[in-house]
Amino acid sequence: MRPRVIQQEGERQIDERPSRTGTDGLAASIPGTVSVPAHAPVPASGPARARTGRLTPLKPGALWRFPGASSVVSTELWVGVHLCESTSGGDGLERLAVRAQRFTPRISLVPPDGLVLEVKGSLHLFKGVEGLSRALANECVSMGLKPQLALAPTPLAALVAARVGKPFVVMDMARLVGQLTPLSLMALRWPQETLERLALMGVRTIGQALRLPRAGFARRFGTEQLAILDRLTGRNPDLRARFHDRERFRRRRELTYELENHDAILAALAPLLADLGKFLEARQCGVMELECLLGHRHAPPTSCVLRLATPLADVCRLTELLGERLNVLALPEPARTCELRSSSLVSRVLSSNHIWQPGEHGGGAGAEAPELIERLRARLGPEAVYGLQVLPGHRPENTWGATEPVEVRRQRGASGQKRAAHEVAVHAPWPAFRRPTWLLPAPKLLSVRDGLPRRRGPLRLLGEPERIETGWWDGGDIARDYYTAVDIHGVRLWIFRERNPPHRWYLHGVFG
Amino acid sequence: MSTITPELARLLEHPAIWRGRSAARTEVLPTGFAALDECLPGKGWPRTGLIEILVSRFGIGELYVLLPALAALTRRSAARWCVWIAPPLEPFAPTLAAHGMALERVLVVRADRPLWSFEQTLGSGASDVAMAWARSPRAREIRRLQLAAERGKTLGVLFRPQRAARESSPAALRIALEPMTQGVRVTFLKSRGGGRGSIELSWAPGWSMARG
Repeated sequence: MRPRVIQQEGERQIDERPSRTGTDGLAASIPGTVSVPAHAPVPASGPARARTGRLTPLKPGALWRFPGASSVVSTELWVGVHLCESTSGGDGLERLAVRAQRFTPRISLVPPDGLVLEVKGSLHLFKGVEGLSRALANECVSMGLKPQLALAPTPLAALVAARVGKPFVVMDMARLVGQLTPLSLMALRWPQETLERLALMGVRTIGQALRLPRAGFARRFGTEQLAILDRLTGRNPDLRARFHDRERFRRRRELTYELENHDAILAALAPLLADLGKFLEARQCGVMELECLLGHRHAPPTSCVLRLATPLADVCRLTELLGERLNVLALPEPARTCELRSSSLVSRVLSSNHIWQPGEHGGGAGAEAPELIERLRARLGPEAVYGLQVLPGHRPENTWGATEPVEVRRQRGASGQKRAAHEVAVHAPWPAFRRPTWLLPAPKLLSVRDGLPRRRGPLRLLGEPERIETGWWDGGDIARDYYTAVDIHGVRLWIFRERNPPHRWYLHGVFG
Repeated sequence: MSTITPELARLLEHPAIWRGRSAARTEVLPTGFAALDECLPGKGWPRTGLIEILVSRFGIGELYVLLPALAALTRRSAARWCVWIAPPLEPFAPTLAAHGMALERVLVVRADRPLWSFEQTLGSGASDVAMAWARSPRAREIRRLQLAAERGKTLGVLFRPQRAARESSPAALRIALEPMTQGVRVTFLKSRGGGRGSIELSWAPGWSMARG
């Protein structure tokens, strides 16, 4: 069981507490340290929790020594990132935070140029401190940022050390104060006036500041600075607002040149798509819909919408599909800006790979099935790819319909599976050979000679007609006698004769 | 040299070894017609690769030749797509279902230039069988389709007009169909390790009723 050290924060308590402790004057002016076992609930704030634990009296000479520091293993490890010069606009910090979410979900921004990440839990995923630092630095460099990194058990210490820019890796609390000692007070970014007064006292480093008596320090420089020192050394918890980024992706880019070529536009979109990929990866989400807006000088923006069959997060495939959409896009004018907008995100379930390849033994249709549909739709349009279904109808042309392919339906709603199961059990009331395998989109009028239909020559009628007379109740009534006919080339046709005058002949289907 | 030792016989059974007159041991799919099975290499349609079906006219019965195999493919538990690329008319869903096809595995693709869609479908590995109606693909394009079909482990069926019989083609199997009163005459133009000549298939009214 590890004792967790809880300390108070806030300047008010520094002044309120002493009367209750009953120890000597100087020690009483110091905020006490309360030790609570790890299983005890951690109080969020408020003066009440101060009374629940045992107070550790502090000796004046050991004011800043962490009580019981040697036995305390830090439960947190923070990486401070200081960006030296931002070369990619004002949102560099936020974009870095978005990308850094692949290292940890606990990220806080320290504008304008700082970022802290709690990485204790993810160290082993990145081969330890070195691996993680390298990966993080690479991430910054790939965005055109120049980072300085430092690791420390408290966020403020990590950030301050990162600002100083020297290699700084402190894993445990016990060594923290010692390592902080030589760092310049400038890195704390206190008001210039405070720093000057401290400098007049000969206090230029953090170590020197920490050696000052607390009461005097608070009186001369304010409790705010004291609280900062407390957070720096881990004496008080440093509660930071966690970074949450937007749940929809929307990013815009001004183009240096006006672009007309589709390939060039796609290349200009590449950084936006890369950002989108990181954005989705951090959330384990995919997009179902992606809109690309191209702005022009005069004309209204051109919109190109990519709809996907399954949530997708793979940048390569998104690029490929967007390229297909852009290829068929007609631009009124060259593009000056481009913007990517995603619809709301859909969480993605990652499935394990199958032993068998699709088509082998037990291997079924895998991830390729929606991928194929998406690729075809991206080029041909969404309505060009469809499935078939049997509809309850009486007119032949109403007994079938185009439908969303089943794979897509399963993603959009569980009801699709039920319907699919129902469709398997279709039993036609007529023999399979009575009806054609092909149907014309609309019946086609046939020429007639001597009362008999013709199509590239006379048609020979086979067998008995089938009468279909239905639909009188909904206005679309038909009364037809269907025949099977063979033309001079041996093609079997499904033709009908209207029962009502003028008794015209129509071609409606083809067998085989 | 007609003596073949058991070791040699075992060696020759390897699927990668193909000998002139013998049937290659490839995975096949029964056609549903015993007479046709007899004449095809491996006794059935190949599971992988491109076959060409040349027809004198659209609708003489080329689909009936394929329907039993399509029905069997789509009703398997791990069935992939059965893709129809640029069919000249609308496939009539109730009839397909009556012939035993599982419609939820059927995908229809409308395209002005079917070859791109055909190649994508064959190469994607997402379909068991893809059928395309293309007007006049060139030999180079057919070669590309054949390679895509092998890559995606898909059976590709290309329907072409009869006059294409004069052109050479890299397809693994080429058959030509001519209409008869109740069936078709199948002529084998090219068949790796299969038979030559022609056979007649007839669909007596009812051969597929048992499946319905």
